[in-house]
Amino acid sequence: MLKAWQRFACSWGWLIILTLASVAIGHYLQSSSVNSFIFIGLVMLIVAMKGQQIIDVFMELKHAPRLWRNIMLAYVIVIPLIITIIYL
Amino acid sequence: MMYKRLIQLWKWLTFILMPNNIVSIHAQSTDMDIAITNETKKLPGDLAMWFFILAELTVFAIFFIGFAIAENLNVEMFAQGKTQLHKVIGLLNTIALITSSYFVAISLHAMRENNDKQVVIRLIWALMFASVYIVFKLWEYLALFSQGIDIETNTFFTLYFLITAFHFMHILLGMVILLYMAVNVYQGKYRDPASENELSGFESGACYWHMVDLLWIILFPLIYVI
Repeated sequence: MLKAWQRFACSWGWLIILTLASVAIGHYLQSSSVNSFIFIGLVMLIVAMKGQQIIDVFMELKHAPRLWRNIMLAYVIVIPLIITIIYL
Repeated sequence: MMYKRLIQLWKWLTFILMPNNIVSIHAQSTDMDIAITNETKKLPGDLAMWFFILAELTVFAIFFIGFAIAENLNVEMFAQGKTQLHKVIGLLNTIALITSSYFVAISLHAMRENNDKQVVIRLIWALMFASVYIVFKLWEYLALFSQGIDIETNTFFTLYFLITAFHFMHILLGMVILLYMAVNVYQGKYRDPASENELSGFESGACYWHMVDLLWIILFPLIYVI
């Protein structure tokens, strides 16, 4: 069982890794022959993963009433999804 | 009739969104059980702050979708505009905001452990990383202005300046809130039983800051990466 500060530190590290991953994807895949839908979809998937970390760990909504957690999680899933669809 | 249907729809939605309600329904038999349910499922901060956060998220959602639609209609203009932005600065700003959010999260943890000295130190670190964002963003704006680019250059830069400046104002407001929290903790106001400041006020301020971070998490790839 991780201590609170360890949980926050792990989450911070994971967020940094995901940020670097999205920039790397943008740098290498955008100019390559990879389908733009896959490229944008991957970047937006990372956005959703980062959003989930902030909501569950930093905002501490993991143990909050389910309605509020679901509303916030829906935001970081639906908005990137809409953006991906727009770029289709 | 319509009213009854709406009530029924609301009940159905809350049932779908809150599976734990099954526990709550059964728990209504005794006060003790209800107390247990309420304790384990506490919303951090004030409810009013969460409605404010939802309102802010909605406004930014309109901006994000508007930006994506505008880009779809002006593909070449947006692609050209994005090449004039500084991606490294955008990346550094993302790291600065995530780190700032991390310090706010651990300051709340220290607050719950009654370690006021650590709370103040961590909030100062959070403010320092927020200042890094401010400096980089201003530098980026000035670099664009020096190239003769401003809000009227084209649709891309109109939206770029509008969205990022609006977010910038939220950062400034968040920094004022963090500073206010740090001063209050330093003065021991959160520990004063006579004071109106409570832990929920601190939690609300922290959640506001995390929301600002969350918005940048979407804004950064939308404007700089894709």
